[in-house]
Amino acid sequence: MTKPKRTHPLGLLLHIAHSIKDYWYLLILLISLYKQPVWFALGWVLVIIAILVWPIIRWATLSYRVTPQAVEINSGVFVRHHEHIPYARIQTVQRKQWFFLAPFKLEEVSIETASHDDNKPEARLAAVPTTLADQIDHYRQGTPATETATTETVRAAPNPDATETTASPEQPAVEIPAAAHYRINNRTLFKFAVTSTGFIPLLLILLALYNKIPRSWTDTLISDATHLALIILVAGALVVILIAWVGAFLWTYLRYYHFDVTLQGDQLKTAKGFFQRNTITAPLRRIQAIRIKQNVFRQWLHIQTVQVLLASKAASEDDDDDLVILPAVPQAQLYDVAPDFLGWLPDHTPDLGDLNVADRRKWYLVRNALLVALVPVAIATWFWPHLWWLFALVLVLAYFQGLFAARQTGGHLMTPTMLALQTGHVWTKETYYLPAEMIQSMRLEQSVWMKRKQLMHLIVNVRHGNKNQSIELRYLRAEQAQRIYDWYLHTV
Amino acid sequence: MSTENHHLPQRIKLIWRLSAVGSFIALLVITGLIWLAYKYWDWPFWLVTIFAAFTILEFIGEVALIPYRYRFTRYQISAVAVEMQSGMIFKKRVAIPIARVQNVTLNAGPLLQWQKLTKVSIATASTNHGIEGLELDEAEALREQIMRLAREARHDQA
Repeated sequence: MTKPKRTHPLGLLLHIAHSIKDYWYLLILLISLYKQPVWFALGWVLVIIAILVWPIIRWATLSYRVTPQAVEINSGVFVRHHEHIPYARIQTVQRKQWFFLAPFKLEEVSIETASHDDNKPEARLAAVPTTLADQIDHYRQGTPATETATTETVRAAPNPDATETTASPEQPAVEIPAAAHYRINNRTLFKFAVTSTGFIPLLLILLALYNKIPRSWTDTLISDATHLALIILVAGALVVILIAWVGAFLWTYLRYYHFDVTLQGDQLKTAKGFFQRNTITAPLRRIQAIRIKQNVFRQWLHIQTVQVLLASKAASEDDDDDLVILPAVPQAQLYDVAPDFLGWLPDHTPDLGDLNVADRRKWYLVRNALLVALVPVAIATWFWPHLWWLFALVLVLAYFQGLFAARQTGGHLMTPTMLALQTGHVWTKETYYLPAEMIQSMRLEQSVWMKRKQLMHLIVNVRHGNKNQSIELRYLRAEQAQRIYDWYLHTV
Repeated sequence: MSTENHHLPQRIKLIWRLSAVGSFIALLVITGLIWLAYKYWDWPFWLVTIFAAFTILEFIGEVALIPYRYRFTRYQISAVAVEMQSGMIFKKRVAIPIARVQNVTLNAGPLLQWQKLTKVSIATASTNHGIEGLELDEAEALREQIMRLAREARHDQA
């Protein structure tokens, strides 16, 4: 057996960058202390420890080893951890390659398992040769998710020492040919980035900054051109929106640049990103559910996003745990492209009319949306009565959100073992495909008043990341909801 | 396997009554503290009145609702699933297939222990569901049953 290896020294840079990200507030604290020399010096020592010494020690104490049975990670400064991750337990392997690591053939590798307790990945190796992830992939391909895993891998790789080097070509079944491949085209990616809703939080930040502009500037501006005041105000708002929009566009465009998805054996592999190439591998059999998402802007442009829900924090922090399989597909092509990767999707747009919120029941969703909006609007109008028109707009939005939710609600039993559900939350249509064996529990809710009107809520629970996701269809007809519930009880 | 609806054991009502008394005492203490604040720090008296009223109403309400709470709380275990039902105004019914159960935990506070009852909580890979009180031997039998069925179900899948 070879000895555990250390990660490449360049990984140190990434460790330091992470520490700076985690402890940047210490630097601010330090700047505020510059008048007291003793504290200032002490502060420097602290900062240097936090962002330089500590990462170096962490780097020096981290080592890893890939054997045919498991990935082993040793880490920890004061408390030593010896992590042993058998391939069968691995949910996803994520590789992130910053552009400056590419010439050195290095990348960051994160390994995720389904263990419940932690938000961090099971193992993170900051800079390791790209061959390492290939090797892990290779061992995983040969490993079925049963208890017999260890014996099988040993058989597949008779000489464990030889496999330590790289996945060399003479080993059996190294490269399984891709069963399906899809790359996003630039036009669709452009549409996808343009319609990113990421500009909304950005907009709020910019508006907050806009408020911070010294009054004297704006006052002189307005007094110079009083008759233009309104135009300036409107133009200013438009510029802010434009900046936010362009920012969100670039962010999305660069992150999903050259998005690539491949199906290889039973592993789905996605790659994306311009400055940082981000590759995620996940086994098909760990998929909890498929979600097809479309916000209201994308509805106008007819593009949809396909994601899978996994039982681990699959992707990086920024994707809220979801593994995106197809970021943007033209609506008309979706059911031609996606089933190649996810076999249980239907090959045409399904009719989800079996469950619905129609006729008078729409009103309940509208009413609830209005009720939710009414209290904050009432309070805000009390404090800023001159902005009443803005708050009225919120009510109008709430009204249409209610209608939107009602219109999108749908569902259908696709096959005797798969349920499709559709909801319309926050201006986003979401269609779920849920195999019966992945639904953890199902719930019906009915109030006394709903009983009289023969209505019911249906709540379906699936595992999503390390948490639960409930899919809630409200105000269905009681017999519709009951039918799904009975189906669930009888198929399990 | 019996598939009929079960009520919780009758003695759970006693536990509920006692816990109502417990929360009454806790609220009484808070009311007392507010009264002290009124006495020594000149807090307005209406705060004391409101809290006292709330304390009394909460206690009466909680005790009065116990028979209904009892009547509307049910559970049912079949060969394939556990179903639970609760709530009178907002009625909820949940189905947990035994094949999805990851573990079953029994726990009992001092009151439940004294009455030889125990809480049962059933965890799936993503959700947690609880039965408020069961006879100790019944709960243990239930746990055995669920774990045995879960093991069998897992063997079927593999």
